[in-house]
Amino acid sequence: MDRSKLIKWLKEPMKMSNKYSLHVVYFCTGCGIIEIPPSITARWDAERFGVKPVATPRQANLFLITGYVSLKTLKPIIRTYEQMPEPKYTVSLGSCPIDGGMYWDSYNTINHLDKYIPVDGYIAGCMPRPEAIFAGVTHLWTMIDKGMADGYVKYRENYEQYRSNQEEIYADLGWPPLFGVSNQDEQ
Amino acid sequence: MNNKITELIESSFRDVDVELIEEDRVRVNVKQESLLTLLNFLKENRYSHLALISCVDRIEENFFELIYIVSPYMQQDESYTEREKVNVILKTKLPRENAQIGTAIEIFGAAEPYERELHEMFGIEFIGHPRLTPLFLEREYDIPPLRKDFDTRAYVEEKFGSIPPVED
Repeated sequence: MDRSKLIKWLKEPMKMSNKYSLHVVYFCTGCGIIEIPPSITARWDAERFGVKPVATPRQANLFLITGYVSLKTLKPIIRTYEQMPEPKYTVSLGSCPIDGGMYWDSYNTINHLDKYIPVDGYIAGCMPRPEAIFAGVTHLWTMIDKGMADGYVKYRENYEQYRSNQEEIYADLGWPPLFGVSNQDEQ
Repeated sequence: MNNKITELIESSFRDVDVELIEEDRVRVNVKQESLLTLLNFLKENRYSHLALISCVDRIEENFFELIYIVSPYMQQDESYTEREKVNVILKTKLPRENAQIGTAIEIFGAAEPYERELHEMFGIEFIGHPRLTPLFLEREYDIPPLRKDFDTRAYVEEKFGSIPPVED
């Protein structure tokens, strides 16, 4: 271990262990999934960065959304995000989740992902190469260090807005609100 | 062999327009009424594989063009070789208003998902189809979205542009 980081480890053990063991759930919505097999296997080896794919969202703390988000895939994205334990970070790959990309005038592709779930970082490109994914991951480390990757806190705080946006897309979302019910019990 | 299927169709059906467009491809323009009869006829003549049903919206001429592609499996008959295989492309016209056609499920079972898709994307009614329920789309559209008069930009402005960004 790097000795200069020892003080950091002792001061903020939670933060340090979070950022060096990013367990990822990949949401393979679009073309971005083609970049994932090379980045997690021997050629680029994502485990150098502590990035490791896991089986279920309940074990993950990083959510990679790889590619365009259609109306049909937004629902599982919200479900997956809500199942992840906190602290959780979302990073989206490619141009499409930012503002629609080349599908900006499609009848079936939502244009701005951050209207429905909080997104901590974007890796631009169409598609980004594995190096760009690792640049994004190391940037996420600095953001976690500085406390800027607080999308899950925002989701909790502005849940009503997110929920109303989600219900604007789906008339019948199919599950009760994540927050709000339990908060009333606490009060 | 290439002319074999052409001759066969021409000799059996009167009001069809058959053309050999490539070495292994025959295009048949057929009227809506005799389409299912022709599909049935082709199936009896070793064309046992329905590869595709597709649709083109010819909005200027005010009709839908339905395209059925059928191809034979050559292994069933040793007198043919794979090189001699000829695909048949059936084209038929449907009016854009109140587009209706009989289902091909009884002839080719594989027609079912294609017909559901075309019903969803173009609003074509397949008479006799057991379940024309939504297949791909998540929400209802006023005009089926792959028709040419569906204005995607106005739709995107109205539906997705109206959703406000989340502010702290």
